[in-house]
Amino acid sequence: MGVCLSLLFITSCKDDFVSTRPLGEVSEEVTWSDPALAEAFVLDIYNGLGQGGLDEQMQASLTDEAMFTHPGRGINTITESRSNAADQGWINGTYSWSELYKRIRATNLAIVNLTESKFDDTNKANSLLGEAYFLRGYYYQQLLRFYGSIPLIDKPYELGEEDYTLERSTYEDCVNFIVSDCDKAVELLTGVTNPAGRANAIAALALKARVLTYAASDLHDVPTASSKSPTIAAFSNKEYLGYVSGDRTERWQKAKDAAFAVVNQTNYGYKMNLSAPVSPAEGTENYKTLSLGGGSNAVPADGAVELLLGRFFSELKDEGGNYVGRNNGPNGYHNWAGNTPIQNLVDDYEMVDGSQFSWTNPVHASAPYQNRDPRFYATVLYDGADWKPRTNDVKGLDPFNQIQTGQYEVVNSSGSITVQAGLDTRTSSIEDWNGTQTGYYFRKFTDPDPAIIDQNTRQTIPWPVLKYTEAVLNYVEACIELGQDGEARNWLNKIRFRSGMPAITESGDELRQRYRNERRIELVYEEHRFFDARRWMIAPNTIGSKIGLIRIGATLKDGKKVQVYHYDPESYTYKYTPSDLDPGIENRQWLDKMYFMPISRDEINRNTKLTQNPGYE
Amino acid sequence: MNSEHITKTFLWPMLILALVASPTIGFAEEPIGYTTEVSNLKQDEITVTGRVNSMTGNEGLPGVSIIIKGTQQGTSTDGDGKFIIEGVPANATLVFSMIGYKSHEEVVNNRTSVSIVLQDDLSSLDEVVVVGYGTQKKETITGSVTTVKSADLVKSPALNVSNSLAGRLPGVIATQGSAEPGYDGSTVRIRGTNTLGDSSPLIVVDGIPARQGGFERINPADIDNISVLKDAAAAIYGARAANGVILITTKRGKIGKPSLSYTFNQGFSQPTFIPKLADASQYAEMRNELELFKLPVSEWEAANTAFKNNGSYDRKNGSTLTAPFSPEDFQLFKDGSDPWFHPNTDWYDAALKDYSPQTQHNLQLTGGSENFQYLTSIGYQNQDAFYKNSATNYKQYDLRINLDAKINDYISTKIGVLGRQEDRNFPTKSAGTIFRMLMRGNPTQPAFWPNGLPGPDIEYGENPVVITTDQTGYNKDKRYYFQTNGEINISIPGVEGLKFTGTAAADKYIRQTKQWQIPWYLYTWQGDYETDGTPKLVAGKRGPYADPALSQGNEDQLNILLGAVVNYDKSFGDHQFNVLAGVNRETIRNDNFNAFRKYFISGAIDELFAGGDSEKNNGGSAWERARLNYFGRINYNYKEKYIAEFLWRYDGSYMFPENSRYGFFPGALAAWRISEEDFWKENVPVVNYLKLRASYGQMGNDNIYYNNSLQEYQYFSTYGFGSYIVDGNVVKSLYESRVPNTFITWEVANNYNLGLDGQLFDGRINFEFDVFMNKRTNILWQRNASIPQSTGMTLPAENIGKVNNKGWEFNVGYNGASGDLKYNASINGGYAKNKIIFWDESPGAPEWQRTTGKTTNSGMYYIYDGIFKDESDIAANNLDYSDITNNLRPGDMKYKDYDGDGAITPDDRVRRDRNTTPTFQGGLNIGLQYRNFDMAILFQGATGGELMVSSAESGAIGNYLLEFYEDRWTVDNPSSEFPRIADRSDQYYSSGNTYWLQSTNYVRLKNLEIGYTFPIELIRKVGVSNLRLYANGLNLFTISNIKAYDPESVNQTGQYYPQARIINFGASINF
Repeated sequence: MGVCLSLLFITSCKDDFVSTRPLGEVSEEVTWSDPALAEAFVLDIYNGLGQGGLDEQMQASLTDEAMFTHPGRGINTITESRSNAADQGWINGTYSWSELYKRIRATNLAIVNLTESKFDDTNKANSLLGEAYFLRGYYYQQLLRFYGSIPLIDKPYELGEEDYTLERSTYEDCVNFIVSDCDKAVELLTGVTNPAGRANAIAALALKARVLTYAASDLHDVPTASSKSPTIAAFSNKEYLGYVSGDRTERWQKAKDAAFAVVNQTNYGYKMNLSAPVSPAEGTENYKTLSLGGGSNAVPADGAVELLLGRFFSELKDEGGNYVGRNNGPNGYHNWAGNTPIQNLVDDYEMVDGSQFSWTNPVHASAPYQNRDPRFYATVLYDGADWKPRTNDVKGLDPFNQIQTGQYEVVNSSGSITVQAGLDTRTSSIEDWNGTQTGYYFRKFTDPDPAIIDQNTRQTIPWPVLKYTEAVLNYVEACIELGQDGEARNWLNKIRFRSGMPAITESGDELRQRYRNERRIELVYEEHRFFDARRWMIAPNTIGSKIGLIRIGATLKDGKKVQVYHYDPESYTYKYTPSDLDPGIENRQWLDKMYFMPISRDEINRNTKLTQNPGYE
Repeated sequence: MNSEHITKTFLWPMLILALVASPTIGFAEEPIGYTTEVSNLKQDEITVTGRVNSMTGNEGLPGVSIIIKGTQQGTSTDGDGKFIIEGVPANATLVFSMIGYKSHEEVVNNRTSVSIVLQDDLSSLDEVVVVGYGTQKKETITGSVTTVKSADLVKSPALNVSNSLAGRLPGVIATQGSAEPGYDGSTVRIRGTNTLGDSSPLIVVDGIPARQGGFERINPADIDNISVLKDAAAAIYGARAANGVILITTKRGKIGKPSLSYTFNQGFSQPTFIPKLADASQYAEMRNELELFKLPVSEWEAANTAFKNNGSYDRKNGSTLTAPFSPEDFQLFKDGSDPWFHPNTDWYDAALKDYSPQTQHNLQLTGGSENFQYLTSIGYQNQDAFYKNSATNYKQYDLRINLDAKINDYISTKIGVLGRQEDRNFPTKSAGTIFRMLMRGNPTQPAFWPNGLPGPDIEYGENPVVITTDQTGYNKDKRYYFQTNGEINISIPGVEGLKFTGTAAADKYIRQTKQWQIPWYLYTWQGDYETDGTPKLVAGKRGPYADPALSQGNEDQLNILLGAVVNYDKSFGDHQFNVLAGVNRETIRNDNFNAFRKYFISGAIDELFAGGDSEKNNGGSAWERARLNYFGRINYNYKEKYIAEFLWRYDGSYMFPENSRYGFFPGALAAWRISEEDFWKENVPVVNYLKLRASYGQMGNDNIYYNNSLQEYQYFSTYGFGSYIVDGNVVKSLYESRVPNTFITWEVANNYNLGLDGQLFDGRINFEFDVFMNKRTNILWQRNASIPQSTGMTLPAENIGKVNNKGWEFNVGYNGASGDLKYNASINGGYAKNKIIFWDESPGAPEWQRTTGKTTNSGMYYIYDGIFKDESDIAANNLDYSDITNNLRPGDMKYKDYDGDGAITPDDRVRRDRNTTPTFQGGLNIGLQYRNFDMAILFQGATGGELMVSSAESGAIGNYLLEFYEDRWTVDNPSSEFPRIADRSDQYYSSGNTYWLQSTNYVRLKNLEIGYTFPIELIRKVGVSNLRLYANGLNLFTISNIKAYDPESVNQTGQYYPQARIINFGASINF
């Protein structure tokens, strides 16, 4: 006790012991003088990529690619054009104003601290700086394509500054700013080989190509956009939405040049050197390989080559993006049917011979899943499609491991015919509330490896942030808009050949329409459709359309006595009835205000210099 | 303190008063001369017999302790109040004492027979109240301090002390959110919520602040009393006292021969409320409705009829819509003839048992001489959960040793040791998950198949009848506490009244967690039959991992407190001074690590080494905290009539940078005992005690809390660690934790209090009344409403917020007796309501949506305005609903166009001025005693809170509350009052409007105890000095507005482990 007391009086006068330090953090000074810590800081900025696009809610469900099965997530606020400044609807973190600006601040911190680096390794400092420029450009690009122009902030603010308000820059200035960041990144990253998951010079080139492609599009050419939309025409700050002056051809030329800089790096292309279509089966395999990006043991790893920048996943880190199969898979596998393909998408897949699918064609209508574009089979799970082994509590009901989204006649134990609901429907005996509304399930980014039991195993399929094929399609688009149809068809057909589809021969506007559908199919579920439908200004008739779905009934042919159902045209007559989703579930409609997402009212209140987008008042 | 002096000066007049008042005192039963003679014969030692009577009637008082003053020799009265005591020095003084009575000293003066009357102690004015760093007499206390005694606490069968406070302490709001064993503590708030961040009070146990483990798990039998400092009296605890202070004092040894007591409690608990849910046919009916509501409205009528007639509907577009349930299904659900495929499952009934046992044993040994007193206490608790075959339970083993020793005339010491082990056992699924599945379980699905095998899955394999058991593995959470505190008191020789106290406390805390997750099996029918014709069930493996997985964690913490206090008492004539000054140094260090493996070689070995190397994982971290404080108090009184007190603390916390680390927190309190004035005594003698109190204090709060976590080091520019995936590997990454705020300092509470205490009729009636106003400024909050998000800054806490909190409290008590019946009753209550004055709200929101000026945590809601009963009602509508729906349908809800712009927009939402926390909580305590029977009753209630009742998980995904079934719009019975049911709250009106808000006002019989004490003559023969049997109960019945859940619930969907009703039987025996 005496010892304690004397200790007390000795120490109580000195209070150094009160200055504890956070034992789990490092200081700013130490970070920027240590290359490993500085690198860790730059790496964290990539977390602004979120789950890539592999969240439970996918942007595809805001478009005519998919619908989201579960209500109450703010999805139909957007698809029914009900977004407003007080209630924007569901916005993923990868497009969130606050999240992206937080990441932009981090890039600004990195740029400030790496421009005159406090450590010796200049090469390291420069490559990190290059990544920071790339990331700043990327995040501004996310904001720009979602909200229109935004305030451009290129310095880290501190606490206690007098003025934090700033108006939106013009759309043109935003494009120039991002392009400039891309150019700096290319300069600093040229010759640097970063590992998968980090940006290289080529990623910066691809980003630049995308931004310039968007910049040249209809929506961002104010005269064109105004002529097509009264809402835009009535807006008083059109410079926030696009180019109010200047030469569109020049913009397309820039876009083409930027895209070609990527396209020219042919070693990034996956099987892009074909001169004729591969077989349909090979086409499906190729598309799977490409879509799965090297993250699946079920297909070759070659698909990774196209990932100019990928968001990767690991079974060692538990993240949302590990659960694509669980989030989207069939309820009959204890999965959740999140973002299910809609009939509108399915109908846009061509026949394998390059002709259009049509419900009025009786051959098509009686077997709609036969002889379609080989990519369909790698993208969509449909009634009768082979899939993974059922879990053992279900496999007795479906020993054939096929998707069941219809209603089937079977002969029961007493010998009479009854109608049985498919296991993967909303009248299934297994978790029926997680059944598809549309009759389809998503498979593109789901690992088909049967070892991955989707309900509880982490998959590691990467998300394509920037991909070689996208740059090729951007190049094709620019060529079409510049009237260079031959060059456009040449590259478009390389993409088709890889998937086993025949060449396109059209030109002019017909070629443009074929291109647009090709892009829709090839890049489906990759967060392009949301923007493409807007910048082409075709959204009113595409993503504004009612949701289509399929109803399937199978009746036993005479004398057939099937007890355990599987897809079997020998025993069954199938009837496919496309129809619209009932309005009580999701009632899509398009209003022109939806071309640009609303800026939150709170943010406008905080930054009084902000101007709201057209149509939101 | 000069309490000893005060006690002496005060006690004597009281005693004299008592002697005069009582006619029987001092009269011997035998002639005086005779007894004198006898005593003379025996020289100095005599045998004294006698009887102790109570004030009322001639009833003898059993169990009164009688001690020869200055010795340990003594006895106690028998069942008739009689006693015999041998070897009494003829000139000795006998001390008679018993709880509830004023103690009495009687000089023997050679008498062999002494009978006295013990006066009821109604006034309790000489009661000593524990305050910060000392004690004060109730009659001269200046602050707003409320107390509860051990005797009241043990009347409650709650094992967790925090659940015994509600209704007993005016101004203390205790709300129990759940009764899950191990996590059943109440949220305790003193005078409501005063800040936007952390509002929890500082807990001080035996003089040591913020001990790990708090006070919830202290063995109730070890607690002597609990004091709550509500106003400036808390200022001596400085930077952590802004939310009030709760002082827990544990029992200490008493002078006397060793006394051994044993208490046994056997309780039975069950949920207070089980939500009433739809049965199978009711659910099936709603399930069918959900399907037809998806159709265009024009088809509802036809589809409804078709569903009812034949279970399917041929649509206009040629397709056929089959109802989820056919008319035959309804018949089978109702008649119960098909238990295999048409059960009518009550999930709560399937998973919960009728009652769950809880057991408590406590053994206490106490005694001691004048120089050394000891108390040792050993306790054991075992609390089972509501589940059948429950894997959840809570066990506690505790030991306490409190020693007091007087070394010599100048030095005395106190030592306290606590050892406690808390075992929390759970299945691998949380209570939230279990009750989620109980609410979700469809009544049309079996929990168990008729052959006894577990039924099918709900989701994730979470069938509650399985996941409540050990079939999923286990989740163990063991916490070990070893807490010691020592105190040495040195009276400085030569300076009368000067005393030095040195304190040291070392508290060790170790926590070990171990979670073993194994797959389990559920059974489904896949269409086959056994040979006996019963359905053949197939086992399906479910679980988060396909193989066993183990997570283990360890945490090791040491808190050290060193303190020194100097205390000086001095009086000059009628002026009395007490001066105290002290210093405290506190440090905490915590180290932790965790590890995980899966791919175990076998489920038989649940130790880490047996797991596979693939995907194994581990981590660890540490933290340190420190504080240094100086404090003091000056207390002055004049004739105990005018009392003034000044107290202060100079506090330094690690939470703040060096230049703003220290803060000075003063408090000033004054009291005037009006009843001591002559004019009062002459004119209003009926009010024998009246005291006016006033106080003002400034206190602090250094706990920066938002986003549900403590925000440390807001002044540092540091980067925190995250991770990112590069090349398939998880690599470390760094992010800016915050933009530093180098100006940060503590929150400041300015608390004002005015109080009046009084007694009438010598304590037969007593009352206390307080009004208070707490002004909290410098509240640590993020400036996130005015700084644009485009700055990208992760904002630190800044001292920007302001909240005012006002309220009042009262307590009125009455003590009475009628014949053998003694009774007391008291009623207390406390009201507190806060208002946000400033917290950087963005200016653009409409005035009616602003939080500023409203109470904290208030929500924003559309105003319910009836239901669109039918199409004509919709046609008559001229409001624009397009911001919230583009498809108005019958059964939809009407909203009020609050801003009158002709459209229903988010601007029509209106901010409430309420939240889930009640603004008033009060209690009615009644005590009755009749001969050997005693009874205590506590009614407790609260008002001013509201809860949104949500159907967010009702629909195809889960069951509905019965009230949603009964009150709903249907095609057959369209309502203009109740809306159409929704599937998972998927309609615009399913949440966020006032229709769903329910008041949580309630009154409940919180606590009832009935006891019987055996007559002493019956039990003395077997060496027992006291034997009492009792039964008590908690939450016995409730009257409340909210029908769906327990009114203390803060859970909107009922998916939580509910509050408990406990019935308990106990016995206490003393040797």
